[in-house]
Amino acid sequence: MQKNTILFIGLLIFTILFSACEKTPVVPNDEEVITTLQYSLSPVGGGTPVLLSFQDLDGDGGNAPVITNGTLEINKTYTGTIVLLNETVNPVDSISTEVAEEDADHQLFFESTVSGLSVQYTDMDGDGNPLGLSSTLTTTTAGAGTLKITLRHEPNKSATGVNTGDISNAGGETDIEVSFDIDVQ
Amino acid sequence: MVILSLFLSFYLIPVLTSAQNCTSTLVGSIKDANTGISMRYTNILIKEFQKGATSDSSGCFQINDLCEGEITLIVYQLGYLTDTFSVFIPQDTLVDFYLKDLTYNMNEVLVSKDKAPTSAQPSASLSEEEILQNADKNLSNLLENIVGVSTLKNGNGISKPVVHGLSGNRLIVLNNGVVQSGQQWGNDHSPEIDPLVANQISVIKGAAALEYQGSSLGGFILVEPNNINKSRKLNGRTNYYFESNGFGHGLNLQLEMNHPLLAWKITGTLKKSGDRHSPSYFLRNTGNQEANIAIQLEKSFSDKWFTKLYFSSFNTEIGILRGSHIGNLTDLRSALVQEVPFFTKPYFSYAIEAPFQRVGHHLLKLNSRYYINSNQYIDFTYAGQLNNRKEFDVRRGNASEKPALALRQWTNAIEGKYFNAFDNGLTIKTGIQGRFIDNTNSPETGVLPLIPDYFAYEVGAFVHLTKRYKKIFLDFGGRYDFMHQAVAAISTYLPREIVRYNNNFHNFSALIGLNYQALKTLKIALNVGYATRNPSINELYSNGLHQGVSGIEEGDVGLKIEQALKTTLGIDWNFKKTFFIEALFYHQWINNYIYLNPQEEIRLTIRGAFPVYKYQQSLAQIYGLDLSATYNITKKLSIKAQYAYLRGDDLGNQIPLVYMPANNLFAKVSYVFPKVGSFSNLALELHNKYVFRQNNLLSSQDFTPVPNAYNLLGLSCSIERNIKNVHLKIYARIDNLLNTKYRDYLNRQRYFADALGINGTIGLSLTF
Repeated sequence: MQKNTILFIGLLIFTILFSACEKTPVVPNDEEVITTLQYSLSPVGGGTPVLLSFQDLDGDGGNAPVITNGTLEINKTYTGTIVLLNETVNPVDSISTEVAEEDADHQLFFESTVSGLSVQYTDMDGDGNPLGLSSTLTTTTAGAGTLKITLRHEPNKSATGVNTGDISNAGGETDIEVSFDIDVQ
Repeated sequence: MVILSLFLSFYLIPVLTSAQNCTSTLVGSIKDANTGISMRYTNILIKEFQKGATSDSSGCFQINDLCEGEITLIVYQLGYLTDTFSVFIPQDTLVDFYLKDLTYNMNEVLVSKDKAPTSAQPSASLSEEEILQNADKNLSNLLENIVGVSTLKNGNGISKPVVHGLSGNRLIVLNNGVVQSGQQWGNDHSPEIDPLVANQISVIKGAAALEYQGSSLGGFILVEPNNINKSRKLNGRTNYYFESNGFGHGLNLQLEMNHPLLAWKITGTLKKSGDRHSPSYFLRNTGNQEANIAIQLEKSFSDKWFTKLYFSSFNTEIGILRGSHIGNLTDLRSALVQEVPFFTKPYFSYAIEAPFQRVGHHLLKLNSRYYINSNQYIDFTYAGQLNNRKEFDVRRGNASEKPALALRQWTNAIEGKYFNAFDNGLTIKTGIQGRFIDNTNSPETGVLPLIPDYFAYEVGAFVHLTKRYKKIFLDFGGRYDFMHQAVAAISTYLPREIVRYNNNFHNFSALIGLNYQALKTLKIALNVGYATRNPSINELYSNGLHQGVSGIEEGDVGLKIEQALKTTLGIDWNFKKTFFIEALFYHQWINNYIYLNPQEEIRLTIRGAFPVYKYQQSLAQIYGLDLSATYNITKKLSIKAQYAYLRGDDLGNQIPLVYMPANNLFAKVSYVFPKVGSFSNLALELHNKYVFRQNNLLSSQDFTPVPNAYNLLGLSCSIERNIKNVHLKIYARIDNLLNTKYRDYLNRQRYFADALGINGTIGLSLTF
C-alpha cells in the first residue's frame, strides 16, 4: 500500500515535470558588439579621399570580415576620423559616440610598418590625454606595409609613452585590433 | 565515614529516586547513521547510574524500571564513534539512535582498519573538526590535501575539485545526497556548496558511481550533514575566524533541537574577504563574500516512517583578478610578460567590481524512509534545485552593471529506492531516478549566449549488491540512464534564428569490487568499473569567444559518448599498529575522451586574431599512484607522508593530456600535549607540500612555459577546554609560512599573477 502510494505520487510528479513545453529563447540585443571600423582619410589641400574599413556583420565566427585596404599619396597629410558602429541593431548604434562619452577610459593606437608614415592625435580627453577618434596621418616616401589600429578600454594613460601613442605600456583590454594593408605611392 | 558516604551515594540514591516513580520502560533500536542498517550487540549505558543494556540480534534494546526525569545514554560499539543521547522519561518510550561510522573520520581511520568494510571503493574523508578548523576555505580548497585530489582554480575564490585527474562534468558532487546541478562548462565554476553545513566530506576515488545520476566517470564527492542530534535540549556550535591575507572574517552558527513535535537544525554562514596578497603585491579585485543558510527538519510519523526536509541557500559574490581580464591574444601576451599585473593598486580594498561572479544556489529536498522491518526499507526523495549564475565583465558604458552572462537552471529530481540486508551477509539496494533540467539564458545581458537554452530529461535505474563472506567483501552492480536533450540555440548567422537539436543518449555503468582481508595486518581491495558519459551541452554547441582563455571554442554536434574503464588496486598494510601504509594504484582508459583541440586556423575578428579550438575526441589514458604512510612514533608524536603521482596521455594523438595535476609530496609532523594547565589537547602540526613541475606537457600546448615546482611550508595548532557544558577550541594556522612566490599549473590566474603569499588564520569554536 505504502509503496504503491509513493510510486503513484512519484509518477504523478514526473508526468507534470516532463510535460513542459518547447523552449523558446529570446534573441538578445547584441549591444556589446562592434561590427564596423571606418578610418576615413581626407587629404589636406585636395586629392583622393581614402576609406579604410573593417566590417564583420555576424560577429566572431560565421562569415569572414570584409576588409577594405587603401592606397595613399606620398608626401601628403590626411585628416583622419574614426567611426565605430554596431550594425547588428536597428537603428545602427554608434560606438564612437560611446567612446567619446567615456574618453578617459579609451584610447586608440596607430602602429605602422610603412616607413615614413606617422599618425598624430588631434583630440584629447577631459584630462588632456589623447583619445584618437580624430587624427592626422602624414606620409613621406613610397612604401608598403600595414597600419594597425587598436582600441584599448581602460588603458593606463599615464604610463610611459602612452600619451605619445606607444601602446607597449598601455595595459587595459583590447576592444578592437584591426590591420590594413597600406600602399604609399 | 568516607566509605559510608560513598556506600550511601551508590546504593541509597537509586533507592531514593526509585521511591519516586521508577516503573518506566524505554525501548529503542540502534542503527548505522550512514546505511540505516540495524546494529546488533551494541552497548547502551545510562550515565547517571550504573545500568545498561545490549542490543539484540535485530538491533533493539529494552531498559526497565527507569525513573522520571532526563537521563543520558552512552552508546558505544567498536568501529563507531561513541555518542551520547538525552532521553526524557516517561515522555520517551521509543527511541532510535544512529551511530556514525569511524571510517568517515580521517583522524580515526587507524581504528577503523579492524572494522569490516561497507564498500570496496577507495575513499578518504574530512571530519567535522577538520572542516571547522579550515572554515576559511571553500569546498575544493578544503579537499586539496587529500592524496590524489587537486584543485582547478581561477584565483583563490573559484576552484573545483579534481579527483584522479578528472573534474567538472566527469566528477559529481553530492550535496546531502543530491547530485549538485549547476553550470559545469568551464574551469571558472565552483561547486556552490557551503562546507560548514557538512559534518563530513568524503571523496570516493572509485571506479563507478552506481547509485547516482549525473555524469561521473568514477569519482564522486559526498558532502553530508548528520541527522539531528537526539538531545531534547537546544544545542549547537559557533565558529568565528579571521584571516590576515585578505582581512577575511567568517562566522558560522549551528543550532539544533530534537523537539518532540519536530526535530530541527539550522546552520548559517557569513564570510567576507577583501583583496588577497601575493608575496609582493595586492591582487586587485580578489575579494569575495558569502551568505548561506541551511534548515533541516526531521519528523517520525511512526516508529517505522521517518521524514526529513532540507533546505539550503548558498549565495556568493567572487571577484576575479582585475589584471586577468583580457580582450585578445595581444593583451594576453603583454600580460604574460608583466612582472606585476596590470591594474595593481598599492592599497587594500574590500571592493568587488567587474569582473566578478554572483551566484545563488538553492536546494529543497524531501526524503521519506519507511522501514518494512529492521532489514528492509523503502526510500523516496524529491530534490529541487535552482542555480542562478551571473557573470559580470568590464564593459563599455554602464554595461558593467549588466551581467555578460546570466543563466538560470532549474533541476527537479525524484528517486525511489529499496534496500534489503539479508541474514547471509548479502545486501541489495535498487532504485529508479528521474531528473529534469531547464537551463535558460536571460536576455538582459545584451550578449549572444555562449551556451544555448535547453531541457534535459533523464531516467535511470540501478542495482547495487554487497556480499560479505569470511574475509571477502564483494561490491557489485550496474546502472542505466536514458537522456534526452532538447536544445534551442541561437544561430551564429544573420538574421538570427532559433536552431533546434534533439539528442538521445544511453549511459551505462557497472562495477565489481573485491575487498580481501588477507592478513590481520594486510587488506587488498580491487575495483573494476565501467562508466559512460554523454557529451555535455557546451561540448556539443558552444560557439564563440571564450574570453577567459582567449580562444574561439567550437562545439561539435557529432560527438559520441565517452566510455571509461577504471581499475583501482588498494593495498593497506600496518606494522604493529604503529606504522601504516596505504597504496592505491589506478588506471583509466577513456575512449572518445572529449577535449579542446587547437586548430591550425587563426580566426580574424574585429578584436584581433584568435586561435580556434574545437571539441574533439581521442583515446585517453590516465594512471597513477596515491601513496600514504603514517608512523605513530609515540602516542603524542606522529608523522605522515603522502605522494601523488599521475600521468595522463592522449594515446590517439601521442601527446600529453592538458590540465592534469602535477605530482606532489605532502608531509606533516604532529605533536599533542594532552594537558596544559586547565586546557587539553594542545596539538602542534608542521606541514609541508611540494608540488613538482608538470613535465608531461609539450611547449606547444600552452601559451607560456609551465610553472616551476614549488614548496609550501605551514604550521597549525589548536587547544581545547571544557567550561561547564561548553567546549571551547582555539585554532591558528599559517599557510605559506615562508611567503614563497609561486604559480600553480592548474590555476588560470598563473598567466597573470603569483599565487597567495603568507596567510595567518586564527579562529575560535564553541560547542554547547
